[in-house]
Amino acid sequence: MALKGLAGKILRVNLTSGSITKEPTPDDVFAGYIGARGVGAYLLLKELKAHTDPLGPDNKLIFLTGPVEGTLAPGANKITVTFRSPLTGTYSFSLCGGHLAPEVKFAGYDGIIIEGRADRPVYLWIDDDRVSLKDASHLWGKLTHATEDAIRAELKDDAIRVACIGPAGEKLSRFACIQSDYHREFGRGGAGAVMGAKNLKAIAVRGTGSVEVADPEALEALTEKVYGILAANLKARARRYYGTPEMVDGTNGLGYWGTRNFSTGYFEEGHNINAANMKEKIFVGSMSCYACPIACGKVSLIRSGPYAGTMIEGPEFESTGLLGANCGVSDLEALVKAVEICDIYGLDTMSAGAVASLAMECYEKGIITKEDTDGLELNFGNGEALVALMEKIARREGIGDLFAEGAKRAAEKLGVPELAMQVKGQEFATYEPRGCKGMGLGYAISPKGAHHMIAPTMGPETAGDGSKRFEYKGKAALVRETQFLMAVVDSLSLCSSMRFALGLKEQIDLYCAVTGLALDEAGAMLIGEKITNLERLFNLREGFDRKDDYLPSRMLKEKMPTGPSQGHLVELDPMLDEYYDLMGWDHEGRPTENRLAELGLAELWREVR
Amino acid sequence: MNVLVTYPERCVGCRICEQWCSWKHEGQVNPTKSRIRVHRVHSKYLNIPVTCMQCAKSPCIAACREGALRKDSATGAVIVDEEKCIGCRRCVRACPYGAVAIDKDKRIVLICDLCGGEPQCVAHCREGAIEYVSLALADRGHRAAYVETVVATMAAETKDGIKATGEGGCQ
Repeated sequence: MALKGLAGKILRVNLTSGSITKEPTPDDVFAGYIGARGVGAYLLLKELKAHTDPLGPDNKLIFLTGPVEGTLAPGANKITVTFRSPLTGTYSFSLCGGHLAPEVKFAGYDGIIIEGRADRPVYLWIDDDRVSLKDASHLWGKLTHATEDAIRAELKDDAIRVACIGPAGEKLSRFACIQSDYHREFGRGGAGAVMGAKNLKAIAVRGTGSVEVADPEALEALTEKVYGILAANLKARARRYYGTPEMVDGTNGLGYWGTRNFSTGYFEEGHNINAANMKEKIFVGSMSCYACPIACGKVSLIRSGPYAGTMIEGPEFESTGLLGANCGVSDLEALVKAVEICDIYGLDTMSAGAVASLAMECYEKGIITKEDTDGLELNFGNGEALVALMEKIARREGIGDLFAEGAKRAAEKLGVPELAMQVKGQEFATYEPRGCKGMGLGYAISPKGAHHMIAPTMGPETAGDGSKRFEYKGKAALVRETQFLMAVVDSLSLCSSMRFALGLKEQIDLYCAVTGLALDEAGAMLIGEKITNLERLFNLREGFDRKDDYLPSRMLKEKMPTGPSQGHLVELDPMLDEYYDLMGWDHEGRPTENRLAELGLAELWREVR
Repeated sequence: MNVLVTYPERCVGCRICEQWCSWKHEGQVNPTKSRIRVHRVHSKYLNIPVTCMQCAKSPCIAACREGALRKDSATGAVIVDEEKCIGCRRCVRACPYGAVAIDKDKRIVLICDLCGGEPQCVAHCREGAIEYVSLALADRGHRAAYVETVVATMAAETKDGIKATGEGGCQ
């Protein structure tokens, strides 16, 4: 079966032996799991041996695009990387926007599988069908932006797309990200550390080809239709105007914005770091990922003060929450500076913010003192100290060495595991579970730890007067549905911002026009369920089950003290029971034989377990 | 006659113009086959759309020794005669804007043909970064932008003047 929309080849690079091979893209796997995240989950489960050391040579980085990438489809610009996470030990994946994904397709590949470990720093140079490993000794230690610039200069082409790690990845910070196009990243789960452990500094890509589409006329008509929908949709327009920080006021206004290490869900100084204030004070322009009619990336410039001249793309909503509200920091300039440090050293801003807020709570409680912090006064709200701490973490200097290990490990070492707001070792996203129960369940059952995009239920939960967010009824079903939907969207590799305006129908229609396959919404949701189960199976094999689907005790036992969600807790267990039931999993969260057989996964599971 | 006007300060680098250009002309999405290209200067956060400016004294036509280039009398677009073009790239070098590309498969050059008077890049640019306007009025947008800069500069100078006086700078 030749599937349209695919480039037809997967690149496999073994860094240990230096071998580079091109394999035919497994069309049947793509047809069964759509692409990117789905195919990644399948390949990782199949190719990775149980209990592989995440930072050892046997871990893999499986970069995959979706079938709609490199076509006319709007918002088709995501590339995923699937790997075993050094932060959580679970299956993990992260998505990166920008311009890397179409470039990989144009170069003739649906994905790149990186295995092994190079004995010295290298970078991968993909120039259409000419692929080589190049020495990167001179790039080791360089910041991400400088690395991109150096590679473009060395290869004498300004249009080359680069994905690289910074010093944080080299030093194996467990939440190091892979940076691309200056400000787009494979953020969560520590893919940058895996790349660092493999001695792979960067991947540079140049593509001059194209992909074939099954039904060009249908694709063109659909694309025009999608442009129209996006132009008319209020949410998409808000995002276009303000970028992702458009969500600050809504989230804070309903009191489910993680503040001061999630000790509460309402930040009184939130208006200082909301979208309107950013628009007025720091935004100077927009940057778009490939093929996106929204262009949510906002360029910020600090014009005066100690950080004058700092220019970044962002801050995004999640960074604003975790480095801002969650650290009690309302100083916009310090926030921008902290994001810049994360970007150029290659750290996930979300985990970095969560770790900083943990450090601040420990400092205020006297668990760490000025002596431990080299004199930094790490009180909540101290923007200057936040920036200094970011530098320390990025360089693993002093106390930064401890916090570069992630919140869970750091808190355990300090003897206060309950202060780390995380699930399975992955730090919370910015939504406060006590103020939005579905997000709590979503964090708990997420295969990659507390991640907000596994089941982003906040939209329906806060619709109307917003009181639905406190209800438990129907939450398990909502989380399940949303989870399948997101598995499909991530596998299609469309940006999740499209989802605000587009129904699953439009997205699937794009997929069908490109591939020539017939798929309806029910069929797509079934694929979403299969992917969800594959991810569960990987974790099950690593020993994760119900005991790991928890939330920190603060969420379960301490009533939220302030704000519009005051007095609320999360009653997780009943939601969890209901969710497992709906999924056809047993009481411990293990998929039953029956369910696996119904989904057609029983044989695969027998083979890999 | 209409011409293309680009506004780099409005361009966000989505490259939707490139997509539609190659899609409409070549039936495929392929940036290297697009007659408009968006160049991103990462370090300066700039995106610059580069395409044919329909110069009056087209250096590309002057440089062509094969007589493969001519100006369309209706639209003013430079038209490439695919039979005559030998892909020597003299026009690529002659173009002051880097707007001429090479089709690596057909081995001939690609120059904006204004889509016969309905440029698809303009039709699909949501940012208003490319406009298709009458030659007589093509300078107006830039004049307005220049005036805006002058106004802003003058306003800032006045403000600084007041500030200086207020702080007793004259004493």
